[in-house]
Amino acid sequence: MTKRVVFSVLLVVVLALSASVVAQETTIDEPMITPVVCEEPGDLTMWVWDETWAEVIGNSIEVWTEKYCEGATVDLIQQPWGNYWDLLRTNAAGGDLPDVFNMSQTFVGFYADNDVLLNLQPYWDDAGIDTTMWGTGMVNPYRFGEDGDLHAGPVNWDTVAVLYNKEMLEAAGLEEPTSDWTWDDFAMYTEALTDEEAGVFGSAVYMQFQTGYANWIAATGESPAVAPERAGCTLTSDESLEALNYLHGLYDAGYMPSVSVMGGSSADDAFALFASENVAMITAGSWKMPDAIEQLTFDWDIVQLPRHPETGRSRSVLHAVGYVAAANTSQPDLAANLITFLVSDEAQMFFAEAGGVAPANPNPVLQATWAEAFADSGKNVQAFIDATEDSQGVTGFGEIWNVINAELVINIFDLDIPVEDAAAMACDEIDRTIAELAE
Amino acid sequence: MMTAVLNLLGTTPRARRRALWGIALILPNTIGLFVFFGIPVLMSFNTSLQEWNGIRPAVYIGLDNFERLASDTRFWNALSNTLQLLLMIVPLEMLLALGVALLLNQQRLKGRAVFRTIYFLPVVTSTVAASVVWAWIFQPRFGLLDMFIAPLGFTDIRWMTSPDLVLVPIAAVAIWQRLGFDMVLFLAGLQSIPGVLYEAAIIDGANRWQRFRYVTLPMLSPITFLVVVLAIIHGFQIFDQVFIMTARTVPGGVGGSATTLTYLLYDSGFVRSQFGYASAVAVVLFAIILSVTVGQLRLQRYWVYYESGEAQ
Repeated sequence: MTKRVVFSVLLVVVLALSASVVAQETTIDEPMITPVVCEEPGDLTMWVWDETWAEVIGNSIEVWTEKYCEGATVDLIQQPWGNYWDLLRTNAAGGDLPDVFNMSQTFVGFYADNDVLLNLQPYWDDAGIDTTMWGTGMVNPYRFGEDGDLHAGPVNWDTVAVLYNKEMLEAAGLEEPTSDWTWDDFAMYTEALTDEEAGVFGSAVYMQFQTGYANWIAATGESPAVAPERAGCTLTSDESLEALNYLHGLYDAGYMPSVSVMGGSSADDAFALFASENVAMITAGSWKMPDAIEQLTFDWDIVQLPRHPETGRSRSVLHAVGYVAAANTSQPDLAANLITFLVSDEAQMFFAEAGGVAPANPNPVLQATWAEAFADSGKNVQAFIDATEDSQGVTGFGEIWNVINAELVINIFDLDIPVEDAAAMACDEIDRTIAELAE
Repeated sequence: MMTAVLNLLGTTPRARRRALWGIALILPNTIGLFVFFGIPVLMSFNTSLQEWNGIRPAVYIGLDNFERLASDTRFWNALSNTLQLLLMIVPLEMLLALGVALLLNQQRLKGRAVFRTIYFLPVVTSTVAASVVWAWIFQPRFGLLDMFIAPLGFTDIRWMTSPDLVLVPIAAVAIWQRLGFDMVLFLAGLQSIPGVLYEAAIIDGANRWQRFRYVTLPMLSPITFLVVVLAIIHGFQIFDQVFIMTARTVPGGVGGSATTLTYLLYDSGFVRSQFGYASAVAVVLFAIILSVTVGQLRLQRYWVYYESGEAQ
């Protein structure tokens, strides 16, 4: 009887321990950012634009209110991307911004220039956080003021890589590309994979700024579209023209579809064509992985962008969404405390395990967890991680977004305007806008 | 003073009571109109004299926004695009609406109510939904339109990206959406024409075309005037179709080729955060529409006939 009781107790203990291991998320022994308890709880509002992130962030906030700020509440609202920026500007004009909200590197300039954002640097300093840990590409667009104070906490990072249809490659007798492949290899693959009779294009890799031509310009060593410090337009430089002409050559030869064929100038239009097996290779951001895994019905994989034949560089535009707080929030300390928690290893683990965009926190355990989240898919997501090594930060900004994101693309890859002329037209608009903003 | 005011309402207690009731009943609407329309319009006039990005305090700059507007190629481009759309939309919309109304006015036509409903459905359809669908209809390779015109040799037409063509799909959607509304007005007008006029014309030996030319058109002129005025006002304010249909390519069209005055207003205010300049565009647009409408009111005396049989 005693033995049976002991055995039963041991079994229960073992089971309980096993259950706790199963239920417990991956733990981090050496966190890079340790959250601090808030001084006084309160009520906050928070806006995000992505539905998936809203769920992840919601889970993080639950932990924050349980462990680090008991009694605090956060009204988390997901505003659809299409309305987000108009709503944000309208609310900013009305002095009614949410306390904490997501920010993009593309649009942060307007808010920073108008002192709408809370300076988080004092809070980073108080918490002993070395903001250089995130890397310049992630945080530099969020640094303002003479001292380069960091006004945002990076949420996640995303890079761009090439998605390819393995079945089409196999049918064309091509081996799967590796990270060493070059522009010349890419051109050869694109040509070989094009089947005019079947209406299949070899690739579609130029559309939009972030997922398209900017990456190819970056590989030449040039800053895409705009020089650092907004010194001027770079699209008419030799390097930019080289990249644009390279892509245009593939399009002109009929190996890439026009914008009209794709039905739009966005990367999502190229993805739709890829999903329908009308194009063999596209560029896509890491944020697209959940959709790709869910929707693509054929065998596919991921490889880094090809290397420039002379510089040998494969570069991806790297973008990091940020958590920011409103300068006029009634609870600056609380808002900063929430942001500090959200960028901590503990909160970022939710992003890592969700398998969507990668967490910005550079802890290797987090990055490995994120990659592991895709393990079942069998896809080479490591290509996205490797792309961060020599990445290019976002250089475009809101006021010129239509020009660099759509108009340039359509002029070259739909209206057949010569590359040099299209680049010159874009530069006229960009330089005019830069001059207007400087006034 | 009080007596004078009361006398304005009426000379008898009963007349005054009726007048007061009338005022009371229209007061809610009037207040609403003033609060939600009048005050914003006045504020817009005020903002047009300021430089304001929506966040920093506004600064009065006088007429600088209007001076800038006068030399801004984007404004003149938008005005040109708006006028081109008007030229495409108004005549076609009226002709088609009149044609459909004439057909539906046939007594022998069975299922008139059904046809009337079908033609009116686009009027009550969401402009956003319609614009999204029509953008796909005009898609050069996979669109529905391409199915019909490709066999005729018209292939790969870049409707939504070509600066020379982008206004065509926008005009098409605008006409499609308003056709039913104009048709209903014309139909009401046709049905109010006294039959005796046609009988007299027949007795005088007028053929069908002559009856249309000398009876229908003149008697329909008050409705035609209304349709023209409304169509022009609506044409000057086209925004939804531009916003939605160019969203997938270049907002406002490549090189501003689809930018109308109202789109320029939106772009200046909500994209570029130049609310003072955007308000100046709004003021100018208001002045243009007001001038055109007043001009039409003045010109109606030459061609609009009322039941008295004379132009007024």
